[in-house]
Amino acid sequence: MSTEAAPTTTYTGEFAVPADHAPAADPTRQILADRVEQLYRQSVPGTLLTLFVGAIITVELWTSFYRDLTVIWWLITIAISAARYGLYRAYLERVDHDEKKWLRWMAIGALAAGVNWGIASAVIFPSHTDNQQVFLAFILAGLISGGIALFASVWWTYAIYAVGIILPFTYVLANSGSRMFVELALLMPVFYLANVVVAYRLDHVFTSGFKAREDYRGVAQEQKVMTAQIEEQLQELLNARREVEASGRKLSLFAERAPIAVLEFDANATVLEMNPAAENLFGYALGELVGRNALQMLFPADELGINESWWRDFLSGVEPATFSRLRCLRRDGLDIMCEFTLTPLVNDEDDVISVIAQGRDITQQIEAERLKKEFTSTLSHELRTPLTSIIGSLQLINSGVLGDVEKDVSELTTIAERNGQRLLDLINDLLDIEKIESGKFTLAPEVVSIDSLLRDTLVLNKGFADRYHVQLAIGKDLAPAKVEADPKRLVQVVTNLLSNAAKFSPEGGAVDVTLKLDGDRVRVGVHDRGPGIPDAFRSRIFSRFAQADSTATRQKGGTGLGLAICKRLIELMHGSIGFEDRPGGGSTFYFELPVLGDKAVSNLEQLGAAQ
Amino acid sequence: MTTKSLERVCYVEDDEDIQRIVRMSLERIGKMKVEIVGDPMVAIDAIVGFKPDLVMLDWMMPGMDGPTLFRRMQENPQTKDLPVVFITAKSTPTELDELRSLGALGAISKPFSPKELPQQLQALWNALP
Repeated sequence: MSTEAAPTTTYTGEFAVPADHAPAADPTRQILADRVEQLYRQSVPGTLLTLFVGAIITVELWTSFYRDLTVIWWLITIAISAARYGLYRAYLERVDHDEKKWLRWMAIGALAAGVNWGIASAVIFPSHTDNQQVFLAFILAGLISGGIALFASVWWTYAIYAVGIILPFTYVLANSGSRMFVELALLMPVFYLANVVVAYRLDHVFTSGFKAREDYRGVAQEQKVMTAQIEEQLQELLNARREVEASGRKLSLFAERAPIAVLEFDANATVLEMNPAAENLFGYALGELVGRNALQMLFPADELGINESWWRDFLSGVEPATFSRLRCLRRDGLDIMCEFTLTPLVNDEDDVISVIAQGRDITQQIEAERLKKEFTSTLSHELRTPLTSIIGSLQLINSGVLGDVEKDVSELTTIAERNGQRLLDLINDLLDIEKIESGKFTLAPEVVSIDSLLRDTLVLNKGFADRYHVQLAIGKDLAPAKVEADPKRLVQVVTNLLSNAAKFSPEGGAVDVTLKLDGDRVRVGVHDRGPGIPDAFRSRIFSRFAQADSTATRQKGGTGLGLAICKRLIELMHGSIGFEDRPGGGSTFYFELPVLGDKAVSNLEQLGAAQ
Repeated sequence: MTTKSLERVCYVEDDEDIQRIVRMSLERIGKMKVEIVGDPMVAIDAIVGFKPDLVMLDWMMPGMDGPTLFRRMQENPQTKDLPVVFITAKSTPTELDELRSLGALGAISKPFSPKELPQQLQALWNALP
């Protein structure tokens, strides 16, 4: 289909104006230009008429006494006509658009033509016979009247032309001695004025005509612009239509080749359309399901009531909805668990006209989740039970209750106990992160005095810090602050930050713990004098299994899970965690928690007591 | 709160290594008399015969798990009033709440510290009304 538009031409009756003729920026000037052009156009027939009439006069007066005078006049007439024609040619080839200048030249030409006829009347008229005078008078009257048609587009050029004829002629008539000619001379000014008035009115008619033409050009230009805009809009519509068609084809391809099932239902759950993935999911061919009720065909019969209920609720909601576990029925009678997102398509009255369903079989995923849960539970029990024996046995030996052991043996059992504990920490970390990320981690929140908790945690970690010859320090007059947190897990977070700080501090260094109240939040900082956090490690420091240097795992111990767990635990307690460089070297790890006001503390404590 | 010291403890546990560690811990550090039962199916009779102050139960055991044994004990007039402490690898708040809802005196997570076990049991015992 062609999108080309035909070239536009606008027809205006007698003559056509090209639509691309732009209207002038200054309409008054353009109208003057049109009037001047009209004058020059008329100058050619005017000049030819002058030559024609002049030739007739010359022939008519050839036999008269004043033949020489007539010949001279005829030569002057030819010269003036040639000059006027030359002016016409110059006008056609002009490069400037000084219309007033060309008007002045035209006025001079008109005056020359008029005066030439005036000379004819003044010199030739008195010396001829009565018949010849009548002939000349008739000719002159005709030239005066005919000049209106030639010069009326600018009335005063006519006035100049006519005055050039009338003044000498009137003078000759007035001094002719004939009473009739004197009376005629008296009528000449009246005749002149009447003609000038006619020319003046015609000038207005011309001006109005040119103005109308100029207006028309403006309208034509506007129409051209509008036509162009319409063409452009038409093109945009065509492009949009192509894009919609392309989108439609793409969507169709997506639906056809998508691995997820896509079905379309009407408001009664009748199947309208489905893609190949939906055919595979349910085991029905398209033709077997279209026109059938999905709630009856794709769901177990014993749950029809339940399914009709949620379908009605979904339709009344008129909002997309996701059903994460729907028990569906395949054609072969096999139960499958599916996840479906339903999107209603509504009309202007909010009536559901169609429902698009996108879904997939999650039976295997559910089974995998079950197996994972079972595996986690087994891992927890089967690993912890032997560790209980290993760590317990070593603790009993190392505690001395079984009697003294040799020094070398004691060193080895101490190493074994420490590494057994390390293995236990790893298992606990893995179980923690798995529970947190599967959303099964639950906290036991209560009102916690965070200043007391920090002091107690420092005491608990003193032994660990001593191993690295690092001193843990905390201010004596910490601001008392209460937060809602799981104390066991908060101790786990602080312990993790302290143990990291101790491990990466230089021997003999100190780790400072600070507590600051900042509005409705409390900020706990753990400041070390270690090597700082490498730039490349900063973005993933709170990710799972994150270690700045893989050799650090062996050198410093740890699983790379500690900070990931800390971040998730603090976020579960509605706080935030981060780190920054410490001025003078080292790092500061901090976490912030919302501070409880007195009223909130009282309410939570009452709630805890009631439970 | 009881003032009587904890003297006799019966522990039902199928893992022989842990049996031995608990026995050593409670006898050597806690100076308690300890009866270990490896088979939960005969545990009720052993408990009745030993007459313990407190019974410790493992959670997962072949044949009968700890909670089932606990319910059996509650059904038996001779054992229904005995305080029970679970020793378990389960440690989440939900799991511990589940234990308390059964009526257990408390729960100690595996792996426990043998050095601290007698003290932990004594603390739970002392909390008894």
